[in-house]
Amino acid sequence: MNPSTAPSRISIIVPVGTRQSAAADLYADYKAALLSRGASVEFIFVLDGPQPAFERELERLAAAGEALTVIGLTRSFGEATALMVGFEHASGDVLVTLPAYSQIAPEGINALIDALEQSDLAVSHRHPRRGGWFEALRRRAFHTLLASLARVRFNDLGCSARAMHRKVLEEIPLYGDQQRFLPLLAERQGFRVREIAVPPSSLRAPSDQYRPRAYTRGLLDIFNVFFLVRFTKRPLRFFGMIGVALCSLGVLELLYLVFERLALNRSLADRPALLLGSLFVVLGLQVFALGLLGELIIFAHAGGIKDYQVDRVIHFPAAANEPAPTQASHTARPVAVS
Amino acid sequence: MLSHSTADHEATQRPVLSVIVPFYNEEESIGPLYDAIVAAVAPLQVPFEMVFVDDGSKDGTLARGVQLAQRDSRVRMVKFRRNYGQTPAMAAGIEHARGDILVTMDGDLQNDPADIEQFLAKIAEGYDIVVGWRHRRQDKLITRKIPSKIANWLITRVTGVPITDNGCSLKAFRAAVIKSIPLYSEMHRFIPAMAWIAGPRIAEIRVRHHARQFGRSKYGLSRIYKVLIDLMVIKTIASFTARPLMWFGLLALMPLLLGLCAMGFGLVPAIAFGAHASLPLVGSGMIFVAAALFLLVGGVLGELVYRTGDVQQHRFAQLTMTASRKQLAP
Repeated sequence: MNPSTAPSRISIIVPVGTRQSAAADLYADYKAALLSRGASVEFIFVLDGPQPAFERELERLAAAGEALTVIGLTRSFGEATALMVGFEHASGDVLVTLPAYSQIAPEGINALIDALEQSDLAVSHRHPRRGGWFEALRRRAFHTLLASLARVRFNDLGCSARAMHRKVLEEIPLYGDQQRFLPLLAERQGFRVREIAVPPSSLRAPSDQYRPRAYTRGLLDIFNVFFLVRFTKRPLRFFGMIGVALCSLGVLELLYLVFERLALNRSLADRPALLLGSLFVVLGLQVFALGLLGELIIFAHAGGIKDYQVDRVIHFPAAANEPAPTQASHTARPVAVS
Repeated sequence: MLSHSTADHEATQRPVLSVIVPFYNEEESIGPLYDAIVAAVAPLQVPFEMVFVDDGSKDGTLARGVQLAQRDSRVRMVKFRRNYGQTPAMAAGIEHARGDILVTMDGDLQNDPADIEQFLAKIAEGYDIVVGWRHRRQDKLITRKIPSKIANWLITRVTGVPITDNGCSLKAFRAAVIKSIPLYSEMHRFIPAMAWIAGPRIAEIRVRHHARQFGRSKYGLSRIYKVLIDLMVIKTIASFTARPLMWFGLLALMPLLLGLCAMGFGLVPAIAFGAHASLPLVGSGMIFVAAALFLLVGGVLGELVYRTGDVQQHRFAQLTMTASRKQLAP
């Protein structure tokens, strides 16, 4: 890294969830990797819910003279919220989020921070990955699906080691579990996002199991992202599609029933199919109405919603002695005007 | 960013006229367009500025714009972080413009800045919005003109705003009116229709239209679908925003009547003659009645949303009511 552009201060934010390694080892690893940079580094640990063992270890480190900030949340609010809390306490220009367990080789952090010279957000991609073929397949399916929805490809959203400029988190409020999708949201917001291949940690990560519940959550996450990146501004484009489809399905069925009643003289009132048709029509109507309600929300709050991000405004004020507004045009050649 | 730009708002003299031009990959056009604007507007003796919005161009548009800004303090270049599209570009231009009168135009040299004079005259007559009409349009017939004709006919029919050419970017606005109108997504085509909620006086004038000299057109046929959806949204929003409950109430009326009828047909014979009540019929009736109730509740929610939002009908009314009619020297 070019020393002349070295960031003045780096804030390391570590949200501590239930997956955690021994705090002392983790801290020592991260610190050793960052020591070579020479920049001033602050560590912020955010305990997402009570983690007595981890907290005790951090207290021991602090007692030994290590400068670190420990923030304890009273209950588990989710990793993204923990991240935002840490961000509020961070004073650095460069923020690095790191997992509370050994996910990447600590040297990789430097590669991430270096990548910030040409980008606003650097995300890590563990390479080569460990794990069985099934895990690899699952990951690939997840990321391909996301890429097709968000139109940007990332290969390892599960890895939470990321480095970013301060403005990224200032502009993108995260909540719940959204920290995984920060690269997608940042890309959408117009930030330059780079993916850096980073060697995975040689240590064994604690309990990395994907139970059915995790799969369901993953699917819901995808749905969430789909909304966030595609339809937040135009709810009716989405709701309307579903609503019109359901409603027309119902109307078609009802029309068919009426046709049968009139032309074939089949009784209408005793058929359960009537219930189904009505249900479809009503469901479609309701979904559509929800979409309209969404549009109303967008419209009523449009003043506060920015559709665009201005990078900068370039303007050179006129010199004081120059009569600015009536300045003669510099160029004598106007375009052909018929 | 914003605070910075407002800071130098104070520094220079406030212009009366702002010419807003969004550019997306128009490196050949930006220079000639600048020349043409200066040549057309400078003789009018109106203090003016040019707000050029670079919508994330990949070519040299920004560099040339910055050169222009360096030479001429009347040029203000707004650079987007990435490509966002024409409506956001227009909205950003409107946000950063400081004049009392805003003129928007395309960055592809198809509009002629020489027409600006006519627009100013119309605004001086007391109109809030003046819309251009490309009456001898220089574009491809099948892919551009015919879809546009259909869209315009539809927009006029649905919104009731009698404008022949909604797609023409050359428009002039009284700044107070346009700055209060929410402009998002792909609404730039419907600015007059959206503006209708503020009750402005709209005029239409014929403008010159040139064939494209440089670059390629950024549109195709695919936008028709979006136009249709947007049209519906605008229609409902522009005509019913102030009364969501009423709107949803109207929507609820149909299912309510249908439901009551179905239940009546099912239940009346059962009660009157002790006949067997038909479950599907009564059930369907109940479903429809429930839907009507749901829609009414939605309407109440809509009232709540509208009440807490920042778009207020009375502010629009005040806006056009008290609009100052600044007379411009011709």
